[in-house]
Amino acid sequence: MSRLSDIPIRSESSARIERSGEDGGLGGGVAAILSELATLLERLVAAESPGAIDLRSLPMSPMDRAVLQRVLGEGEVQATVTAQGLSRVRETRISGVWWVEHFDQQGEMVAELIDVSRVPVILTSAPDEIAASARALRAQLITPSGSEGKHAARQ
Amino acid sequence: MPLASEQLTVGEMLLRHGISRRGFIQFCTATATAMALPPWIGAAMAEQLRHAQRPSVVYLSFQECTGCFESLTRSFAPTIENLIFNVISLDYDDTLMAAAGDAAETALANAMKDNFGKYVLVIDGSVPTGAGGAYCTAGGRSAVDILREAAKGAAAIVCVGTCSAFGGIPFADPNPTGAWPVTAIVNDKPIINVSGCPPIPEVITGTLLQFVSTGRIPDLDEHLRPKAFFGNTIHDRCYRRPFYDEGKFAKSFDDEGARNGWCLYELGCKGPTTHNACATIKWNGGTSFPIESGHGCLGCSEPGFWDKGSFYAAQSSAEWGKAGTPSPRRALELGAAAVAAGAVLGVASAGVGRLRQHRSEQDAADHNQKEG
Repeated sequence: MSRLSDIPIRSESSARIERSGEDGGLGGGVAAILSELATLLERLVAAESPGAIDLRSLPMSPMDRAVLQRVLGEGEVQATVTAQGLSRVRETRISGVWWVEHFDQQGEMVAELIDVSRVPVILTSAPDEIAASARALRAQLITPSGSEGKHAARQ
Repeated sequence: MPLASEQLTVGEMLLRHGISRRGFIQFCTATATAMALPPWIGAAMAEQLRHAQRPSVVYLSFQECTGCFESLTRSFAPTIENLIFNVISLDYDDTLMAAAGDAAETALANAMKDNFGKYVLVIDGSVPTGAGGAYCTAGGRSAVDILREAAKGAAAIVCVGTCSAFGGIPFADPNPTGAWPVTAIVNDKPIINVSGCPPIPEVITGTLLQFVSTGRIPDLDEHLRPKAFFGNTIHDRCYRRPFYDEGKFAKSFDDEGARNGWCLYELGCKGPTTHNACATIKWNGGTSFPIESGHGCLGCSEPGFWDKGSFYAAQSSAEWGKAGTPSPRRALELGAAAVAAGAVLGVASAGVGRLRQHRSEQDAADHNQKEG
């Protein structure tokens, strides 16, 4: 038994929440999220201003989650970012709505968001980084293979 | 431990440690989530911080048990290593720094001189003023003198823990050392109180990060606590709240109700009058919090929590919404008055007696105002 969730505890509160998810339909939580997504999409169209919903801040039952995932569906783009930790970015069936998960180096999920944007900012390259890369590449072209000679001499 | 802040932006510092911009976005997004801030702030914070210079932070410990610092070192998001190496320049901290004795005191003096007017001063522990300040000294100087000097060049003061914010346990009756909160000693600097005994680690690091990334004092409540973390009561956000609403209470520890996870109100839980983020951010990387572990809230982030009667006596509903004690402004007025009389050190116990008297008058006034 290595995780807290492996300990068999039956609590009345969570049992009750799961029962309420079986009623069918969207459930109050999911309907509210979809309505907020519609507002964020309209704002994206009108003002190019991206938005996001923090899924971990919302009290969602596993049932609500499954319903939300089913409604949003899978789009055409799936991307993985390997930086400090792993990030998974999946486009949903709704254009401009992305499901983004961030994991830490131990593989624990540290953030889960629904991102409303043309492209989530974590996938884009930043102008200052592009400028720095251009300078570095240009410098490399001016002094080609100079370091190779030194390396060979040292050996 | 650097003696003075290097003039590097956070972004440059991150690259030196092999952390890319995307890695930093991941870090800031996780932080924003942990801090329950609006989710779009993560990416914006990353952009802003990357181009900012690392602010100098001076951390002073006075009359305290180091529990707050122990808590801080257990922050999951952001981790303390991340904060220390990438986002801030921690120029003095007597618990962490390798230097000792004169070298340590020189580091403090240099940090304060080089960053005058710009450094963030973090205070942990109350400030004892009895016996000429002799109850807490470092390098032959009293805490109250060190605080006054360090406060002069600070951009802002962050009081970490209930002791520095409200006096805490040293301030509890009969307050044998003449302890005061920082607000009673310093009255001309912006002060942020991050209370708790100890505070939640992510609330400490989150408050620091929020301040250094925006350069602004966040929205504060009447006790100078950031509303982002202290805006709700534990009771408001407690997962056992539905049982309270249904009138289902545990009557003793380990009875049927306790085993079913019912509300701990009748066992003395102070959740209804306690403002903190335990129910949402939780502890130990979001594992649990006292109520989830089966014990009521002690109310440790509220002023005077140690003097409010038994932790196991049910609160009367008359106490709900009652102002805590002492309010920082009240303590500040009293502190300023005492300083003006040149009497803080000599008559500390009399001062505390006065404070208590004012405190109950203030309570009565607040109470009447609420009722009227």
